[in-house]
Amino acid sequence: MMTLRMALRSIGANKMRALLTMLGIIIGVVALVVLVSLVNGATSSVTNAVSSLGTDMLTVTISDDKGLPMDLETLAKWRDELGAVGLTAPSTTASVTGKYGSDSDSFTVYGTSEAYDDIAGLKLCMGRFLNSADVDSHTRVCVLSYKAATELIGYTDCVGEQVSLNGMKFTVIGVLSDSESITTSMRSSGYTAYIPYTSLMRLSDSVTEAVTSFVVSAAEGRSVDEVELVLTEKLMERLEQDDDAFSVSSMNIMEDAMSSITSMLSILLGGIAGISLVVGGIGIMNIMLVTVTERTREIGIRKAIGATHGAILRQFLTEAVVLCMLGCAIGIFLSWTILRMAAVIASGLSMSFTLNGPVVGIAVGFCILIGVVFGLYPANKAAKMKPIDALHYGG
Amino acid sequence: MIDIQDLCKFYTVGDERVRALDHATMHIYPHEFVSIIGPSGSGKSTLMNIIGCLDVADAGSYLLDGIPIEDYTDNELARIRNEKIGFVFQSFNLIAKMSAEENVELPLIYRGVGKAERQRRVAEALERVGLTKRAKHQPTELSGGQQQRVAIARALVTKPSLILADEPTGNLDSKTSAEIMGMFHALHEQGNTIVLITHDNDVARQARRIIHIRDGKLSEVSL
Ligand SMILES: Nc1ncnc2c1ncn2[C@@H]1O[C@H](COP(=O)(O)OP(=O)(O)OP(=O)(O)O)[C@@H](O)[C@H]1O
Ligand SMILES: [Mg+2]
Repeated sequence: MMTLRMALRSIGANKMRALLTMLGIIIGVVALVVLVSLVNGATSSVTNAVSSLGTDMLTVTISDDKGLPMDLETLAKWRDELGAVGLTAPSTTASVTGKYGSDSDSFTVYGTSEAYDDIAGLKLCMGRFLNSADVDSHTRVCVLSYKAATELIGYTDCVGEQVSLNGMKFTVIGVLSDSESITTSMRSSGYTAYIPYTSLMRLSDSVTEAVTSFVVSAAEGRSVDEVELVLTEKLMERLEQDDDAFSVSSMNIMEDAMSSITSMLSILLGGIAGISLVVGGIGIMNIMLVTVTERTREIGIRKAIGATHGAILRQFLTEAVVLCMLGCAIGIFLSWTILRMAAVIASGLSMSFTLNGPVVGIAVGFCILIGVVFGLYPANKAAKMKPIDALHYGG
Repeated sequence: MIDIQDLCKFYTVGDERVRALDHATMHIYPHEFVSIIGPSGSGKSTLMNIIGCLDVADAGSYLLDGIPIEDYTDNELARIRNEKIGFVFQSFNLIAKMSAEENVELPLIYRGVGKAERQRRVAEALERVGLTKRAKHQPTELSGGQQQRVAIARALVTKPSLILADEPTGNLDSKTSAEIMGMFHALHEQGNTIVLITHDNDVARQARRIIHIRDGKLSEVSL
């Protein structure tokens, strides 16, 4: 307590120098806290966007059905039998040529069922999605992506329009909303349409009763990993224990890749900030060495009246750590201000930039560590002085 | 209480070897007021530094209260300085950024005395040197004589068994010197052991016992 007051006093006695010394630490802390908080803010908003788009969706592809084809009934049966599974829907794609009036363009058509929009997290801006009646009676209806509607047809309110896919007329019953663009654009850059699986069977020769690709969602409160496990087991059983005959993939892979990119970015930026903190620490060491030399006589006096090695060591070490902590506090305050400003500027981007708690903790811990590490040498130098030499230093 | 036998101290500057202390032998008993007098460069300060446990001799023995000093570690010496010795220097040696009060308090902090007790003893020591009113002043705001009185208060506050003064009046005019000397007399009457180092005959004569030092050799002259 006493040492702390003494340290604050001697720092206060030379404010300008203290401030300049702390600058390195301040910059280091600001770099660390602001950069990591920014990266976290930006990625969390992107990750949110990704996970809202059906990350609990598993895609199963069967490449070899071993003579036991998967059909729509089996799919429905699995949905009912497997507790972890929420919804199932076939998901077979085909490339077709879409035509509206005189305009034509290539389309990716999904042959699927009524559950698909829930599984994939699709949202509609117009009309409705497919229903079970459409699938049962292979009606020629389609749901268009926002892009297909706006660019090919020219407007979103196109429910009831007729689009021809490979020459077959389909009635538009719904249009997806624009916010789906992230997932859809990741899948394909062109136009997308969703039609009943049964209708796709008529449209494309290669699509038969045997479903080769389907999507599954997790039941309420069940994890995707759990579903993946159950599903893999079921498929292994069905497909003669041949794990090459099928594949189960989840959007989690994307999320994993994303988080590994962010954590790498965080480590990289943190490393750069860490280096500047170390540089700041060297500045602290430098000024502490100057202080020790300047106060050699004081050290001599203190030793003459009974200060032990430990007492002097503690005094200068405390001073170095306090200097670092002050720098750290100023740095955190500046970071907070900068992040507040960034939040105001970026408010339109729906990103939240807040002070990242763990990073602040890391910054504080790192500053203490730096104070101790770089304060130790000067403090030890002071403590090791012989009282007689120190007392007679400089006359 | 101080037992010095054949103490030698050498300094090597370049090729030359200076004998700052040459087989110095002396004894000082409790409650004595001894002055050590000698010309400049005779080894007075060297002797005082060794007596004050700030430095160690190269040869000879030094018993403080019957215990040989050579056996102690640096930290133990620090403790001895804190508990047994009070220093008064020619150049006052107060810590510039601290008030008179805080300077006096410092040895008690290093001894680990509690706050209330510290305040009581600091007030008492400052009163004994007549500086109660100047307690909050910084050394730069005090005259030389006042600074030296603060230094004396700092030496007193730990109730040391020995007060060591190295030319305490060396930087002061004759009137202030007399004041400071009066203070040492008072301390002696109160039972303190005082060793006073000086090159001034008038100052030395005020002590009960005078030891002469010349080229590191001690010789006693009784009055
Ligand atoms: N640190 C040192 N290094 C080298 N020589 C020293 C050192 N300290 C003292 N000496 C030498 O030792 C001798 C005695 O010095 P000392 O300081 O004890 O003298 P003094 O009697 O106190 O003199 P003064 O009255 O001027 O203070 C001198 O010749 C001095 O040059
Ligand atoms: Mg001297």
